[in-house]
Amino acid sequence: MTNRQDAPAVVADTELVPASVAPVIEPPGIEPGHELLRLEGLQVHFPIRGGFLDQVRRRARGYVRAVDGIDLAINKGEILGLVGESGSGKTTTGRVVVKLTHQTGGRIVFDGQDVTTLWGTGNLRAYRRRVQLIFQDPYETLNPKHTIAEFVGEPLEVNGIGTSRQDREQRILAALETAGLRPAADFAGRFPHELSGGQRQRVVIAGALVMGPDLVVADEPVSMLDVSIRTELLHLMLDLRRERGLTYLFITHDLSLAWVLADRIAVMYLGKIMEIGPAERVIRWPRNPYTQALVSVSPSPDPPAEGERAARTILVGETPDAAHIPPGCRFHPRCPLVFDRCRVDEPPLFDVGGGQQAACWLAEGGEIEPGPA
Amino acid sequence: MTEDTTQRGRRQWPLPKLADPKAPLLRVEDLAVRFRMPNGSVKAVDGVSFGLDDGEALGIAGESGCGKTTTALSLVHLLPANGYIKRGRVELFGIDLVPKTETQIARYRWREISIVFQGAMNALNPVQRIGDQIAEPIEVRLGQPRESSRRRAGELLELVGIPKQRAGAYPHELSGGMRQRAIIAMSLACDPAIVIGDEPTTALDVMVQAQILQLLEQLRRDLGLSLILITHDLSVIAETCDRAMIMYAGRVAEEGPSRRLFTAPRHPYTQKLLSSFPNIRTDRRTLEVIPGMPPDLRKPPPGCRFAPRCPFAMPVCTEVVPPEVRFSDGVRVACHLYSDAEAPMAGAAGLKAAGETGA
Repeated sequence: MTNRQDAPAVVADTELVPASVAPVIEPPGIEPGHELLRLEGLQVHFPIRGGFLDQVRRRARGYVRAVDGIDLAINKGEILGLVGESGSGKTTTGRVVVKLTHQTGGRIVFDGQDVTTLWGTGNLRAYRRRVQLIFQDPYETLNPKHTIAEFVGEPLEVNGIGTSRQDREQRILAALETAGLRPAADFAGRFPHELSGGQRQRVVIAGALVMGPDLVVADEPVSMLDVSIRTELLHLMLDLRRERGLTYLFITHDLSLAWVLADRIAVMYLGKIMEIGPAERVIRWPRNPYTQALVSVSPSPDPPAEGERAARTILVGETPDAAHIPPGCRFHPRCPLVFDRCRVDEPPLFDVGGGQQAACWLAEGGEIEPGPA
Repeated sequence: MTEDTTQRGRRQWPLPKLADPKAPLLRVEDLAVRFRMPNGSVKAVDGVSFGLDDGEALGIAGESGCGKTTTALSLVHLLPANGYIKRGRVELFGIDLVPKTETQIARYRWREISIVFQGAMNALNPVQRIGDQIAEPIEVRLGQPRESSRRRAGELLELVGIPKQRAGAYPHELSGGMRQRAIIAMSLACDPAIVIGDEPTTALDVMVQAQILQLLEQLRRDLGLSLILITHDLSVIAETCDRAMIMYAGRVAEEGPSRRLFTAPRHPYTQKLLSSFPNIRTDRRTLEVIPGMPPDLRKPPPGCRFAPRCPFAMPVCTEVVPPEVRFSDGVRVACHLYSDAEAPMAGAAGLKAAGETGA
């Protein structure tokens, strides 16, 4: 709870529009200069150990390159949508940020401090107060034998926050209230089985809020929920951002959810960021063929118009195994626009204007046609 | 596939003995399903009617607990032990399936109606090769010799886009999308008249989902399959189905050609549901919230069940069950807004404009 007072929760409601990005209106709350989290060349390689001898000798037969060198920065008050299919490394990235998984390379900078090697210390505890994780499945996250108040209060106890029982209770009720469980006193004594799926996820959110975090890593927070409950929770997340200046790393496989919630979207494929930029630009003018394909197949309740179905890019096959990442551009075996260079050299992220970057050789000179709008 | 005029649609084998060759493929009338619970009986499905023609795809959508899965399961008596059909008719080729006994109905499962269950791809037997698992219903249900069942299983795998050399693979050797394809192959094993898919793409990645939907589309075109797709994902229905049926709290809110239903929804619930669906083809952050929660089906509200959450609720809505109104474009709606035929489109036009944006 140290930095919360001096950091202004809400910046003035003025529109901070960078001249180059016309269609994007920066919502109130983002502090463009205040970088809250930065990942530099982050790598997570899991060793593959075959048999017992490999285990003993700590020798690896190879590595699963779950996260393979990504750079990412999130400003205070921003929502960054990290989108990818299963096996893209998006969840691993989130787990590294909350320090549940060790990185094997790269740096993590949080609020100006290098937290890369923050392990097993009191500092880690302080870090975790400011960075909280919300999991996907509200049914598995909650202990069925604990009341709601016990679940929400546990982190307070573990971290020794709050001076007395009453103080803790106050904090618990306030968190439940903020998460939209009103009247909070009614919910505090209940057990998870007495709640609906949407209410459970609100409890999980309350459990994250009670610590007063600055950054919330939300891993598919609404994927298990019904449409109408989903929108309620998305609105709650936006409200919390406005009221508390929360920053989100929003991890999802669903491009349309990132579209409605995130300010910027990063698209991951096999451990690399393929494209990153303001949501409007990434969705309306995707420059990487992978993003273009994802956007074109992204489901929509509008019935497809004549010929629209044919215009869709349905990629063949599935994401390769992260233990056998193709050489050159890792997307090249499935890319509809592949050419010689892609098979040999891996493209870096090229700036394509408007704060958008794409990892594609075609973006180098800007030859890619704007994708489906 | 060529159409045999002497047979029904794609059907190349005789109809059940009692079948009426002129009857529609499937006709469900006033179906009501109850679940016995310790503290009362849950009216999970209450007066649902719909039909399915040869080669047609019907999508049933709604939130959890609206009765969409229960409706499908009751067609072939697969309800859990505490569930029973209270009233109604389920006519397949004019044969009423409701009074059938367990042994009688078993003849209709797989052979006439097969169901791809939610998460079925995770329910494959892990220690049996997929080819054998697909051959099993052919052997058991149709009494075919093992050799020809195996050959047929290979053909089915090819049909759903798995090379038949992979018939010897175990489920863990296949990816999620491949397992789902194998399950679809299995549902086609006995060449059923109707395939019901209960959330067939829910656990899959977007790209794999697109592949599976493309496969279903192709199977429909090539085999003339009749499909019922049950999903909470409206976009899946918009993509694949000719007709859509929106259910709410055990009743049909609106049913009709999916293009009409998704472009000009009439029932306030359909309108709300569509405008709360994230859509990358529209403007951002225009998502609507449906206030409140679905009713407790042990004691559902009298009158319209959506009334407590409906922005257009009138006094009559809380008292009288809305009758179904049919429109000339083939849509039927159960809503009091339209019971006065003079001003049928007033409410719909207003809300449609709010949910619609120029993408």
